[in-house]
Formats: sequence, structure tokens, C-alpha cells
Amino acid sequence: MANILWLQGGACSGNTMSFLNAEEPSACDLVTDFGMNILWQPSLGVELGDNVKTILKNCVSGETKLDIFVFEGSVVNAPNGTGEWNRFCGRPMKEWVRELCDAADFVVALGDCATWGGIPATAPNPSESQGLQFLKRANGGFLGADFTSKAGLPVINIPGCPAHPDWVTQILVAIATGRTGDLALDEFQRPKTFFQSFTQTGCTRNMHFAYKVSTTEFGQRKGCLFYDLGCRGPMTHSPCNRILWNRVSSKTRAGMPCLGCTEPEFPFFDLAPGTVFKTQTVMGVPKDLPTGVDKKGYIKLTGAAKAAMPAWAEQDIFVV
Amino acid sequence: MSDSDDDALRDRIGRLMANGLETKTEPFPETNIEFEQVLVELREFGPDDLEEKMVISGFVDKPYGEDEQRCLECMYYLVHRKWCDLPELAVPVEAEWWCRLWRI
Repeated sequence: MANILWLQGGACSGNTMSFLNAEEPSACDLVTDFGMNILWQPSLGVELGDNVKTILKNCVSGETKLDIFVFEGSVVNAPNGTGEWNRFCGRPMKEWVRELCDAADFVVALGDCATWGGIPATAPNPSESQGLQFLKRANGGFLGADFTSKAGLPVINIPGCPAHPDWVTQILVAIATGRTGDLALDEFQRPKTFFQSFTQTGCTRNMHFAYKVSTTEFGQRKGCLFYDLGCRGPMTHSPCNRILWNRVSSKTRAGMPCLGCTEPEFPFFDLAPGTVFKTQTVMGVPKDLPTGVDKKGYIKLTGAAKAAMPAWAEQDIFVV
Repeated sequence: MSDSDDDALRDRIGRLMANGLETKTEPFPETNIEFEQVLVELREFGPDDLEEKMVISGFVDKPYGEDEQRCLECMYYLVHRKWCDLPELAVPVEAEWWCRLWRI
């Protein structure tokens, strides 16, 4: 039996909604088949008011063993570092978060806001939001760079806006079944099993990427979304085209550019006008090139790809 | 538009440049904002305002600049159709031409 407590800070509940859509295992399967005991969760918990406070106090005191603490949403510090803008059970949420992180065997930051600060931490960050152990790309965040939970691991970051339900359930199952030794984390403390490959890995538009054919308007099934419509698939670490959403599709498969939501900088360019759904360029060359590709190489590759382009690459090959 | 229509229009565009049509090759839109401004100008013209569009977008009939940029490498260029796929232009072109909306 693994006790799980799940709280929300500066959040939209998107990760909870995503989690509740989990299949194989579903949220119910976690309880019935994997021995998880959800102490409280904002959308599932039946307790209210003082009863919730009692659950939290018992976790902090150690009366109830807290195996996994899941936090969704940013840690809100406003105003002036007090955290009063986000109160919960009689005190600033940030105070609960600190104590529960110290009490838990494992701490999981779920979604961009909990991992890097996400949209609430976008400049000028009026809520003074932080992620649990990062603020955007900077290690530290609310808990500090040196924090480790009782089990000796740093915060396990599962980013995404929202995170895919499978990313959450599989990590929870790994922890609850004692397989944390299999969890390798990357430099941003993301499980490598999900965040080593790119969003582009498995994208159905890859052939168009290879031959440098661009999608120039929404709704086109031909072309790659990277060149003109701001897709961040080649620079974003996620399995969105390997572990499909609702088991059937992904943003890029459906013609929607990847927004890079599993990376610390999301939302990119602080959502400045003209930066969303438009590839940012300098002198005609993309500002952000596919990971590992330099400008010279990119220009050479473009010439070669265009010269070798087959006729079909210019057409819609997805005939209904 | 048929292939022969495309060919005829491409010839006409080529002749306009060969006959000395002055176009705005500079300034090159260095940033997205500047690029978008050129697109906004282009959107004011109708599909038949060919010369005006060529002037605004800076058409030339040879590679341009130190790097000899040309349509062939531009991401809007469709090699087999010999076509500029930028929605605001959408005209037949030659691989060795260039305009200041060049992007890769």
C-alpha cells in the first residue's frame, strides 16, 4: 500500500483532468490493482475543511506515512513572499508544501507550473510563482537545489501542459511497486524514459521535415509545421508521438504545432505578440534550430534536401 | 491553374524583371515583426496586382546577396511545381530567383 497525497497550488486543474482520463491503468486501477491509497486529491477527496486539515497534519507529523506527495500548480509566493494569495486549510499553501515535501518519501511535481513555474511564472510573474525545484531553467525553485526527499531523490519532474496521463500513472506505479531504481532522470529531473526522445520522434510529418516542405497555413495536411508555424517538435523532449494522446493522436498529427510545453521555457518568448504559431527567424533562418544542428549545417542540409525532394513531398499524401 | 497557365505567368514575371522592374529588395526583414509587416502590405493587394506584389516583396531574377540566396533553398519554394507557396504571393517562380521574404 502506498499513500498518495495530491495538492494544487497555482493551477488550472489541467493535470488532474488529464490524470482522470488515464486508461490502462486508470485512476481506479491504481487503487484496485496497484495498492495505492489516495489520501486526498482535490477532485477525488471526499473530506472537506477541518477533515482535510487533519489529513495534512497527520502526514506532516508522521502519524500517517506519506509515500508520495504529488504537487500540481506553481508555488505562489505573492504578495511579498508571504504566499497569502494562495491559502489552503488555514495557512499559505507554500507552508504546507514545504512541510509535506520534508515528510514524503517521494515528491512528484506534476505539470509545467509545478516543475518550472509555467504560465503563472511568465514575466512579470505577478504571483511570484516558482516550480518546486526549478524556476524556468534555473535549478533551485521553491525547495532549493539541494532538496532531496526522504527516499534520497530530488523532486521527480513530470512536465507538460498538461502531462499525459500515462506519464503520471507509470511513474506512480514505478514508485508504488518499488521500482524507483529503474527511474533515470535527466538534467531537469524528468524521467528519461519519457523525456529523452523528441516530440518529433514518430511525427507523421517527418518526411516533409526531411525534404523541407512547409505547412504554410493551418488546415494543410502536407508539410512540416516547424518551418513557418512555430512548431517546437524538433527541440522539445516528450514522447507525444510515441505515447499518443487518447491512444489515437497528437498535436502535430492533428496539424497543431507543438508548443514545447515540456521544456522549462514554456511558454516561449513570454507569449509576446507574434511569437505564437510563428517560427521566429533572424535573417530568414530559424532562431531555434533542431537540437544539435548548427546554422551552417542547417543551411547546407536545406540545399541538399530541396535538391533531392521527390514530387510527392509537395502534395497531401494523407488521402481520405 | 494549369501547368501551361503557370508557365505563362512565370514567363510574364520573368519578363517584367528582365525589362527592369524596380523592386524593394531592401530592407531585408530581419525579424518576424518586420517580416509580418511586409505580409500586411501584401495582403492589401488582390490576386491580379502582380507588379505591386513583386515590388513590395523585392523580386529579382538572380541569386541575391553574399550567400547567393535563391528560391531553391527557400522553404516556401515547391521544387517540382516551381511555385512560391507563401499564401500572400502564391505565384510560379524560378529556382534561381529571390525575394526578400526568403526563409529557410
